[in-house]
Amino acid sequence: MKYAARRVVAGLTTMLLVSLLAFVAFDLISGDPAEIMLGTQATPESLAALRAQLGLDRPLPVRYLDWLGGFFRGELGISYQYKQPVWELIVPKVGVTLCLSLLSFLLVLAVSLPLGLLTAGRTGRGEGLRTALNQLCMAAPPFFTGILLSWGFGVALKWFAVGSFPDMGQNMWGALRYLFFAALALAIPRAAMTVRMLRSTVAEELGKDYVRTAAARGNSRTQLLRRHVLKNALPPVVAFLAQTVAELAAGAVVVEQVFAIPGLGRLLVASISNRDHPVVLAIVVILAFWVVLSGVIADLIQQRIDPRLRLGGGE
Amino acid sequence: MMKKKLWAGMLSAGLLLSLLGGCGGEETTQTRSPEEEPDRVVFEDTARKKEATVGIAQDLDDSLDPHRTVAAGTKEIMFNVFEGLVKPTPEGELVPAVAESYVISEDRTTYTFTLRPGVKFHNGQTVSAEDVAWSLQRCADETAGSSLVEAFSAVTGVEVVDEKTVSLTISEPDNEFFSYLTAAILPKDYDKQDTAPVGTGPFRFVSRSAQDNIVLERFEDYWGIPAKLDKVTLKIMENADSLLLSMESGAIDLCAHLTSTQVEQLGEDFYAAEGTMNLVQALYLNHAEKPFDDLRVRQALCYAVDREQIIDLAFDGYGSPIGSSMYPAFGKYFDDSLSSYYPHDVEKAKALLAEAGYPNGFEMTITVPSNYQPHVDTAQVIAEQLRAVGITAKLQLVEWGVWLSEVYSGRQFQSTVVGLDASTMTARALLSRFESSAKRNFINYSSDSYDALYARAQTTYDDDTQTALYRELERELTVNAANVYIQDLADLVAVRKGLEGIRFYPIYVLDLSGLGWTGE
Repeated sequence: MKYAARRVVAGLTTMLLVSLLAFVAFDLISGDPAEIMLGTQATPESLAALRAQLGLDRPLPVRYLDWLGGFFRGELGISYQYKQPVWELIVPKVGVTLCLSLLSFLLVLAVSLPLGLLTAGRTGRGEGLRTALNQLCMAAPPFFTGILLSWGFGVALKWFAVGSFPDMGQNMWGALRYLFFAALALAIPRAAMTVRMLRSTVAEELGKDYVRTAAARGNSRTQLLRRHVLKNALPPVVAFLAQTVAELAAGAVVVEQVFAIPGLGRLLVASISNRDHPVVLAIVVILAFWVVLSGVIADLIQQRIDPRLRLGGGE
Repeated sequence: MMKKKLWAGMLSAGLLLSLLGGCGGEETTQTRSPEEEPDRVVFEDTARKKEATVGIAQDLDDSLDPHRTVAAGTKEIMFNVFEGLVKPTPEGELVPAVAESYVISEDRTTYTFTLRPGVKFHNGQTVSAEDVAWSLQRCADETAGSSLVEAFSAVTGVEVVDEKTVSLTISEPDNEFFSYLTAAILPKDYDKQDTAPVGTGPFRFVSRSAQDNIVLERFEDYWGIPAKLDKVTLKIMENADSLLLSMESGAIDLCAHLTSTQVEQLGEDFYAAEGTMNLVQALYLNHAEKPFDDLRVRQALCYAVDREQIIDLAFDGYGSPIGSSMYPAFGKYFDDSLSSYYPHDVEKAKALLAEAGYPNGFEMTITVPSNYQPHVDTAQVIAEQLRAVGITAKLQLVEWGVWLSEVYSGRQFQSTVVGLDASTMTARALLSRFESSAKRNFINYSSDSYDALYARAQTTYDDDTQTALYRELERELTVNAANVYIQDLADLVAVRKGLEGIRFYPIYVLDLSGLGWTGE
């Protein structure tokens, strides 16, 4: 319990720090929401009036505390640009990005776990080719793969029409089908990295004396993996996968642009260049929460696999 | 069994996908067997549907309230939703819209409008004289510091004469005030214009999903010629590569403001319509910065820059060269002779530089907003051309927000390449900027003779004399080499074959009401 409380406090602190950083960074960089909104028709008077209306004429600490107060009351404010409550803007996008990241994560797992476990410790004739392929996949930037995929499946094969992402609420299956290609582009490099990592940790473990002893006692490869090797080899892989979850959410920002998927990433990028503070802060905090959450889940899984880690929890 | 299910699934998914994307047709797909590539059939049936999807590069991320909207991209689209007492035509004339007729008093200060009977708002209400008066008063409202629609600061009174007549009075006669009466007429006391706008235009606003799409539907009770399409979905495609891919894969039927390279990449399914962007693209020079305070240096730059070459190299020949702050679509105000006032002449440029004390040239910085590729391309060609006269120009790419705060508001720059537009169809919209005390005079242009001429133009009410004065102002900008004027960019619109009726206006709008699929 104590451990859980500590994790929650640490998570909240991280999110607060992130929001504070975003706030300060926005204040430091050039560019002003009022100027962006008024464009080349702005006059000093209209700028001043708009700044006052948005509350930008107040000092930074006041604005931050005001935002923080609203945040704890569950009010995220109103978008400068869209004039809509931030919640209303963000909620549908969260679903999209969450689906994209999760789909992509499932793809990573589906590809890398069997591939990594089957090939670990086995070298054969195809090794050179396999390594080259793995390297290539690791280096494939999702942006580029995304363009290739949308050309191949969208333009040449017409399996989906780029830019026709349906409303998730109305057409879940169509949306998932559309997201699949984006998730694939996102998953390829991370899957390749996971395979490589899994292969090396498992192979290392397989080479240890206790495993050889176990093998000598007549255990099959499957039995060896399940009873002995994975327990020791998995914790670092789980930590890596947790990081992958966070990275996939970040990668989604880029892939959403390529596939024209209306997710958090696109909204974030647009809101940053428009200096739409309330929207950016809300998204940044959500992403921070996502990272914190994946870290906590990874910790819990690791503890299940390896009880020794629980000692660190102070229970 | 499994296979059949899979086909059915794919078919229905494809159908739903394409329906939501604004294309596809119910009637034909059912009659075909799945073996005939169902998805492909759906896409080719686009032409049968009375819907279209239009790609736009920028979201309508602004207030949708027409009196508060500032983003040009938002106004461009919302033109289809709102109308004023009068509205512009593609020819640049103003014709009555919500008003049926009007009378301007002898002293040119009172405008009396007779309303068109039976004009309806999108919410079903009939436009009343109260709505009109309320809308005009709202434009003039000064509670926020300055009037909501700037030109309405001259309004001294709005009056409901009877149930179909409204009169408006301005403080002093003003020939151009009439063009401001394109300001939208809104239902009285409706307070959700920001996010759920209601107007009287040929299309009504249905929904907006941030960074995704905006949906407009035909307004059935429109007073004028109804829109041909039932529904238009505006799809936001910020990434240029994805935009082309989605056009080719069938999700998008029309996209404006493309580059010539993009248009060439599109396949057989599209044709290109060419209009003008109605922008004054120039290398704007900060007159408060050395060495641009020297007329000879500015003239040298004008001679050194080769407009034709810029248009050929960076725009494949599309674009109209200009020589002052006016573009061809403005008709009577545009003076074409100014476009060739400074022919490309490297020797003359060098001589002028030597005379000004820079025989070996100098170094300068061109600040360019990085998100406007045409301006970046132009700046690159200019930098190369300036090298020939010994000037080393360094490009500095900045985000649009940074450009606005540093270059535009802060006036901290040496030179910049951008395109300036006219917010209304008046010469004033383009020329008022250069009056020395103007707040938008970001280049710090200062000329007593310009100020005097401008003041005269503002108090001249004879149209011919006023036009002559505006043309004189343009000439003054050219002769003084206020900026290195380059071109009015071409507006290339890619349209799916079968979709017809695109019209170009002298202002920055995309009229969707004339669009329709042929063979219907």
